[in-house]
Amino acid sequence: MSLQEFWDYLVLGVMLGSLYAVIAIGYTLVYGVLQLINFAHSEVFMLGAYGSLIVLQLVSPGDNPSVMASIGFVALAMAGSALFGGVTAYGLEKVAYRPLRRRGAPRLIFLITAIGASFFLYNLAGKLFGRDPLPLPEMYENREIFSLFGAGVNITQLLQFATAVVMMVLLDLVVNRTKLGMGIRAVAQDAEVAGLMGVNIDKVVSRTFIIGGVLGGVAGFLFANLNQVSYTMGFIPGITAFAAAVVGGIGNIRGAMFGGVLIGIVETMTVPLLGDEWRSVSAMVVLILVLMFRPMGILGERVGRAA
Amino acid sequence: MLNKTIVKLAIPLAVGALALTGCGSDSGGDGDAVKIAFQGPLSGDNVALGENMQNGVKLAIDQANAKGDLDFTLEYVPGDDQGLPDKATATAQKIIDDESVLAVVGPAFSGPTNTASPLYAESGLVTVSPSATNPNLTDEANGFTSFLRAVPNDNQQGAGMATYYAKKVQAKKVYLIDDKTDYGVGLATVAEKNLKDAGIEVVKKSVPQKTPDYSATAKDVVNSKVDALIYAGYYQDAAPFAKKLAEAGYKGAAISGDGTNDMKFVELAGDASENWFLTCPCTDATVEAGTKKFAEDYQKAFGRAPGTYSAESYDAANMIIEEIRKAGGDIDRETLRDALKKASYKGLTKTFSFEANGEFKGTDVYLYQVKGGKIGYQGNINELVG
Amino acid sequence: MSTVDTSQNLTPSAAAKLRRTAWYRTERYTRLWAMIALGLLLALVTGEQGNTRDIFYSITHTLTGVNLWVCLGATVGVWALREFAATPIKGAVSAARGSAAAAAGGPVGSLRARFQADKRLRLGAYAVLLVLVLVVPSGLERSWQTVLVDQIAIFALLAIGLNVVIGWAGLLDLGFFAFFAVGAYSTAFWTGRLPVEPPVVLNNFWVIPVAVLTCLVCGVLLGAPTLRLRGDYLAIVTLGFHEIIYLVAKNADGITGGPQGARLIPDFSIDFAGIEYTWSIKPLPYWYLLVFFIVLVIILFSRLEHSRVGRAWTAIREDEIAAAANGVNTVQFKLMAFAIGASTSGVAGVIFTSKYGYINPEVFPLLQSILILAYVIFGGMGSIPGVLIGTAILVWLPEALKDWVDPSDRYMYLGALLVVMMIYRPQGVWPSRRRQRELKLAEEGSGDADATSEPAGGKN
Repeated sequence: MSLQEFWDYLVLGVMLGSLYAVIAIGYTLVYGVLQLINFAHSEVFMLGAYGSLIVLQLVSPGDNPSVMASIGFVALAMAGSALFGGVTAYGLEKVAYRPLRRRGAPRLIFLITAIGASFFLYNLAGKLFGRDPLPLPEMYENREIFSLFGAGVNITQLLQFATAVVMMVLLDLVVNRTKLGMGIRAVAQDAEVAGLMGVNIDKVVSRTFIIGGVLGGVAGFLFANLNQVSYTMGFIPGITAFAAAVVGGIGNIRGAMFGGVLIGIVETMTVPLLGDEWRSVSAMVVLILVLMFRPMGILGERVGRAA
Repeated sequence: MLNKTIVKLAIPLAVGALALTGCGSDSGGDGDAVKIAFQGPLSGDNVALGENMQNGVKLAIDQANAKGDLDFTLEYVPGDDQGLPDKATATAQKIIDDESVLAVVGPAFSGPTNTASPLYAESGLVTVSPSATNPNLTDEANGFTSFLRAVPNDNQQGAGMATYYAKKVQAKKVYLIDDKTDYGVGLATVAEKNLKDAGIEVVKKSVPQKTPDYSATAKDVVNSKVDALIYAGYYQDAAPFAKKLAEAGYKGAAISGDGTNDMKFVELAGDASENWFLTCPCTDATVEAGTKKFAEDYQKAFGRAPGTYSAESYDAANMIIEEIRKAGGDIDRETLRDALKKASYKGLTKTFSFEANGEFKGTDVYLYQVKGGKIGYQGNINELVG
Repeated sequence: MSTVDTSQNLTPSAAAKLRRTAWYRTERYTRLWAMIALGLLLALVTGEQGNTRDIFYSITHTLTGVNLWVCLGATVGVWALREFAATPIKGAVSAARGSAAAAAGGPVGSLRARFQADKRLRLGAYAVLLVLVLVVPSGLERSWQTVLVDQIAIFALLAIGLNVVIGWAGLLDLGFFAFFAVGAYSTAFWTGRLPVEPPVVLNNFWVIPVAVLTCLVCGVLLGAPTLRLRGDYLAIVTLGFHEIIYLVAKNADGITGGPQGARLIPDFSIDFAGIEYTWSIKPLPYWYLLVFFIVLVIILFSRLEHSRVGRAWTAIREDEIAAAANGVNTVQFKLMAFAIGASTSGVAGVIFTSKYGYINPEVFPLLQSILILAYVIFGGMGSIPGVLIGTAILVWLPEALKDWVDPSDRYMYLGALLVVMMIYRPQGVWPSRRRQRELKLAEEGSGDADATSEPAGGKN
């Protein structure tokens, strides 16, 4: 691999990784407050993609929209995906997890519920929207806009990366600077004591799900923009992003960002080195190696303490 | 409290139902109806393909019934194997147990064909697969005596692509991708061998289905400085890949097989699909009058355009119906099997006849090219390379 | 965040205003909104199939059709009944329950007591059950025999194995099906059906011990470095392990045959002391074989459950640190659970492969590991009859649903069933008594119900 190729793949890896990071945050946030692997997060992601598709089909951008129109379409699609993602996550929490939480059910029960909800949601989406993949209508003409270390970056990639960064910065601000963020951290540290201190736990959990859902939904839009929309699109990125969250240290927001980018780079670098078919394997090997030597993930610990 | 009662009642009920479905479902007794079954993925990840095929079969049956020249009614029986080998045996057995099923269209995939065919062979129930293309299936050692393949196997198309690149495009170096499915790997293996025999350098890679991001692969294609590319896989993945290839600035020739030869490929990939070559063992499905009518009827019946293997399934079902009609509806499974083995039927897509081992007779592969958002017919590959 | 300090500067009337809830937020009406939402969802679930040509087709159809009103009527009706006629219904139900209990409670209770007291009676009941299990399937339609053998029995064997790992030792294993794949590919290898030649070609019966050994080794190999991880970390690592096994099977074409798989794998056969028999594609002979293995495994495992090993597992599951402090070698016992579970899986893999005669990687997707876990929990983890029932129901259900609903919707209903079941009966269909007690303790806030509730990263 020449140096130029290395830069090419590195840039691609970071772009893909930023997407994984956004999904991973959804897992990590929920884990932080509930210590629950939300297996249904991949369906939140999938429904987010459908949200943007629906909005775009309603406004139907024609050929060659102007720059301003393009920005508008992107914003609309993003809003659609955020809405779908947020609503799905909220509904999930309300219907599937809250009754369990009220009863203090063990986490294994949550896990099976999450799996059941995931089955339900993706099959429902397949039923409602058809089971063939669909393209996202073109919102702009994708072309290379600048180059980074000689590697070209196009609009789609920039959009993906920039959105991811903006969302992560916003999230960091929310968690660290707002009252809601304080609540999230408090619940993550010790839900019982937080409740005694006057934090409305139900509200915090529910809003955490919404935040995670919005992030997941927008990630779904970005992913659809990169690839396409289909009802089974959630599974593979979901598992990968979950692995990324664990590599970074589950429950830890910055860990999820770091893990996402790392896994993205590892996967992309596998393509020229070993071949495309081994990319998931290399991601999983990295996961296992990291956990063998750092059982708490690279950055370790949880929302409450680390973020 | 109420919940607990419900559950307490529900368990014995569920257990009872479990026993009942086992013993009590003797629904195969309605005398004069002749049933044709379809086995393929009607749930799970590959359901889109299964639905295409199921609709083709349904349309054939409905049209035959509507014509009114049959002295029996045809019925359709769905058999869902999810495209998985481990689910196929129960599905096949269920079809076999229904005495009035005389023939099966399917199994759709090669894996399920492998596990279900011994059962079909034992029962003498003929299966006509419009899409299982793994060359091994007609190996005599399998003993799949009631398997008929109504589609040329992977060998033909793989060879066709290689010939076209060698003789017409005169490629020096070809990037060959399979999608890690049975279909894709089979096609790619044959293509690789033929390309190498023609003295062409081959870069062979595998890119599994549903790869989240094709950018890196596209970059790799460009970096390999090849002048032609073969994608052996289905349109669902060929489309995003084609997009990324266009973005990465790939300028060479690209070709794919019948798994991609579908308008949905063009719809999904948009401009990026322009100039892609597509092969198919089928002749053009939109040019001839008969096929045009098929497309219209299909659209009317199911509210969508026919997809991959729709027309082939339609043909297979019609071929079966034709043989049953010849016998006036009164025919047993074995006789029908033997009749079909010897049959020669001219369908929409091609003329069907079979070798002794159930292999499709005929080696013609046709070339298409995407031009201006349409899949344009180019002609028989053997004639094109002249 | 509810604000704690706002009430300070408020006049009493303003405070009263704050305390009052609008009518639509009272509990009764929140329930109504929930029921309406449920009705809407129900209408969508039972509505028409959509298509990609027009993605709004299904939704618009549902929202303008009759079905919506039927569903809404049903759910709102339930709400109305519950809100306004709750007392009479409750009375009727409790009366019915009372009479039912009076009628059935006595004899059933005493029967159970006698059962527990009398060992011979218990053995007799087991014998009757076994005879039923052996005889009844021969009366079924052959397609149900096939479901019973090819799916239910195979999965039952697997579920019993997973039950050891998760139900008894409390280790969350999301990659259990990978061992099944190892067993299956061992069979293909030792019967000479993979691209790589085995040193000797073995009869399928001889493959069983070899496959068990291979799975044991794999179990230990996976377990040794990862068992110090706990709970969720173990889950993701085992999940990763499964993904790796699956992808290796798929990608290492030269060794495993790749996506085209291995075919022509022979059936079981005996040629011993004058008895010659070959199992064929007929389901019943395989049924007897599977019942033999299942019974064998059940006997072995239930002895294990009440031995020192079983008690050690319980101790680890309920409180690992306390167990370690009391001198239980936790790593050794955890490894043992892993290896025993894995080897059961290996047996299932061998039988499966011989029965089908063909495998490809698509038989072993990650989803299967998740499904099998659902079977165990659904049935009631820790209890062997529960696990068997759970497997039977959840494997049978999708097959039976084929006749009632659009096949492509089956797994949607399965998913919904899982969610509902976990909300209303988390202990499973037939829970073990110990497990029920643990769940209750956990709900009351004392004690752990599984080893997964440790803090992330473990307590080492």
